Amino acid sequence: MSDDLSILSWGVVSPGGTGVDSLSNPTDWPKTLVPENAHPDRAHPVAYVAPETLPDRWRLRPRFRRGSPISHFMVEAASQALEAQPGIDRSRLGMIYATSVGCSLYSVRFYRQFQKEGRRFASPLLFPETVTNSPLSHLASELNTGGPVYSQIGDKSCWSNALRTASCWLKNGDADSVLVIGAEEFEPHELDAFRAMRWLDRPYTRPFAEGAGALLLARGAHPNTPKLTQIADGFCFHSLSAGVETAQRCLGKFPPEIPVCDSATGWIETVAQKTRVPDSAFGPLPNLAHEAYCASCSWDTIRAAAYLSTHPSEALVVPYWGLSLQVGAALLSGAAF
Amino acid sequence: MLLGPTQNSTFPMPPPSPERLVITGWGCVSALGEDAASTWPRLIRGEHVREPITCFPVEGCRVTEGAEAPIPPINWLTPKQKRRLGRASRLALPAAREALEHAGLLNADGRCTLSELEMSLSTTACSMERIEAFVRQIWLPPATHGNKTQSLRVATYQSQQQIKDLQTHLHFSGSATILSNACAGGANAIGHASDLIRSGMADIVLTGGYDPLCELVFCGFDSLQSLAPDLCRPFDLHRNGLMLGEGAGFLVLESESHAARRDAPIRGILAGYGHSTDTFHLTQPAADGAPLERAMRAALARAGLTPRDVGYINAHGTGTPFNDRAEASAFSRVFGEDLSGLKLSSTKAAIGHTLGAAGSLEAIFCLQSLQTGQIPPQLHTSEPEPLVASILAKPGDTLAQKATLSVNLGFGGSNAALLFTNP
Repeated sequence: MSDDLSILSWGVVSPGGTGVDSLSNPTDWPKTLVPENAHPDRAHPVAYVAPETLPDRWRLRPRFRRGSPISHFMVEAASQALEAQPGIDRSRLGMIYATSVGCSLYSVRFYRQFQKEGRRFASPLLFPETVTNSPLSHLASELNTGGPVYSQIGDKSCWSNALRTASCWLKNGDADSVLVIGAEEFEPHELDAFRAMRWLDRPYTRPFAEGAGALLLARGAHPNTPKLTQIADGFCFHSLSAGVETAQRCLGKFPPEIPVCDSATGWIETVAQKTRVPDSAFGPLPNLAHEAYCASCSWDTIRAAAYLSTHPSEALVVPYWGLSLQVGAALLSGAAF
Repeated sequence: MLLGPTQNSTFPMPPPSPERLVITGWGCVSALGEDAASTWPRLIRGEHVREPITCFPVEGCRVTEGAEAPIPPINWLTPKQKRRLGRASRLALPAAREALEHAGLLNADGRCTLSELEMSLSTTACSMERIEAFVRQIWLPPATHGNKTQSLRVATYQSQQQIKDLQTHLHFSGSATILSNACAGGANAIGHASDLIRSGMADIVLTGGYDPLCELVFCGFDSLQSLAPDLCRPFDLHRNGLMLGEGAGFLVLESESHAARRDAPIRGILAGYGHSTDTFHLTQPAADGAPLERAMRAALARAGLTPRDVGYINAHGTGTPFNDRAEASAFSRVFGEDLSGLKLSSTKAAIGHTLGAAGSLEAIFCLQSLQTGQIPPQLHTSEPEPLVASILAKPGDTLAQKATLSVNLGFGGSNAALLFTNP
C-alpha cells in the first residue's frame, strides 16, 4: 500500500462565499471597518463571512440553533467535502478540528455578560458553546460520524499538526478516512490584542478574515486525486533570528526543486522573506493576504490541492507559518507526479 | 546527548509498531500536593480539599468553594521568569519536570537530556486568567491597552504558551499537539501519544494535561448549576454536583525498545486505549453509557485483556446525576455480575474535577495503584448507586488483579479509556 494519503475532496466557507472558487479573488472580499474596543476611533478592515452566503440548511437544526458562527462555518465546509464523496463510510470517518482562537465570540459575550450583570446571571445557554470542542461535537452529531474526534488548538501552524494526527489515525487503521477542518471566527478583541502587541500599524499586518476549510483524506492512492505526500512539523522557534533558521530547516526537508507556496501573513512575512525561498521558486498561487489563522492554513492547502487536481504532474510545498511558535509544511503532489 | 530520532519529518512513515508502550516516569501537581509523591499518600489516607476560592472573585456565584492547588515555588526559575508564567504554566512546569526527572531524563542542571522531545498535551482553559485580565482592562476607561502589562498578557495568553514555557524552561524542542477534548482530553492526550508511538512517528513522548481554575469556567459550571453546594459525592444516590479543581499531570511514554536503549526504569505499561464520541447531547452523556462501553471494550481488546483482569477502575465520577448514572450503567454491562476482585472510586471527591488535567492525573493514580497495590477509597458516598455499590473502594482495599482502568467522559461527548498493567 502506498504511504501517500489521497485528498479525496474539500469544502470551503470564506468571506468570498462557499466552495474553493470563493478563494479566487480575496482582494474582492467585502470588508467591514471594525473599531477597536478600547479606541473606537481606530477601525480596521475585516472580511466577515456574510450570513446570507451560507446555505440555510443548518440554521434550524437542533444542534446549530444556538451554535456559534464557527460551528456553522465548519458544518458547511465539512458537508461540502462529504457530499463530494457520497461513498464514504461515516462510521469509520475521523474528524480533527484545528483552531487558534476557537469559540471566541461566545466566550467574550458570556464573560462580558456576567461581568456586567453579575455572576449569578451568567447564561447557562451560552456557556456550553464557549467550550473548544463544542463545534466538533455538533458536527459529529449532525453528520453522524463514528470515528475518532479530536479538537486541536495552538498557533496557526497547529494545522500541520492536525494533518499529522490524521495521517497517524489512517496509518494505524483507527479510521478509513479523516476530515481535517481548520476554522476561525473573528472577534473584535483580536484588534485590541494586535494593538497591544503593536502589530496593527505594521505594513505586514493583513486584514482579518474568518471561515473554514475542510479536507477529506484517505489512505493510499485513489485515481485522479491529489496526494498528501509529506508533512514536516514541530519546528519551533522563540525569536526572529531563530525563526529564519527554523524555517530553513523545515523547508529543507523537501526537494528544493518543488515550488513553495507564498502563504506567510503578519510579522512572520519578514521571516519568510529571509528564508531560502527565492521569488522564482514561489508557487503559482498568490498569497491570500488575509489573517484567518488555521482557516487560512486550510485554505492554502485546499487551493494547492485544487490546483494539483488540474495539474497532475506538478507538486507544491505549502508552509504553515505560525505567528509565535512553529513552522510546519506539507508537500502535496498531483496524481501523476 | 540522546536524540529522539523521529521528530520533525514524520511522513512517510514506517509500519505500525507492535511494541509494548511503557511508562518510565510521571509527575503531578494537585490540590493534595505539589508532586506525585506527596499527593498519593494523602489520597490513600482519604484526605480531600474543599476551600473557598481565592484566585479570582466568586461573589454572586451559587457555589464559592473548590479545590485550589498549592502553586509550587519553582525556585529553579528567576523571579522575572516566574512573573511571565501564567497559572497554567505554574502548574504544568513542575509536574513535567518531575516526570522527566522520574524518567531519568533530567540532567544535574535541570535540563532535559533529549534535545528533541515530542509532546501530547491537553487543556481546556489554557492561560484563561490572562485573557480575562486583558479584556477587563480593555473595558476599563481610560484604556491602557498598549502598556507593557497588556502586551505581556497577550503574548502569554495564547493556547500554545505552555508549549513554549515547557520547551524553554526544560530545554528541549520538538513537535507538540494540544488536544482540547474537554474533560476527556487528558486521557486522549495519553492515547494520542500512544498512537504516535504505534505509528512510528515518535518513540518517546512527554504527555499530560494541565488546567488552572479560572473565572469564566467556574462561573460557567455555576450557571449550569453543576457545582455541588457541599461535598462532591460520586456515585451516591444523593449526589448533587461536581467540585472544580486544578492541577497538572505528566507522564513519559515510550516504546519498550527506546526505554531499553537508554536503560530507563519501566514503571508501568499502557496496555490499551479506546475512545468514542457520544452524540446524544452537548452536555449530557447517553443515559445507558453505551459510548463509554465502546471505549472500554476497545481498550480491553487492544490490550488483549478481559474485564476480569481489571482490579481497579478510576472512574470519571464527577458527582453529577447524569454522568454517574451513565457510567455505572456502562460498568455494569462491561464487567457483568461477577465483580469479585474489582474496586472502583472517583478521586474527584478528593482533588476536584481538573478538566483537561483529569485524565492525566487519574492515569497516574492508576499507575501508582499498580505500583503500591493500594487503592484510593471512595469518599463522601454513604448511599451508593445500586449498580456499583458492591465495588466502591473502601479505606485499606488493595489491588487484586493485574490491570487498572481509567475512564473519562467529556463535555461534547468525548469518551476515553486507558488500561494499565505492571511491567
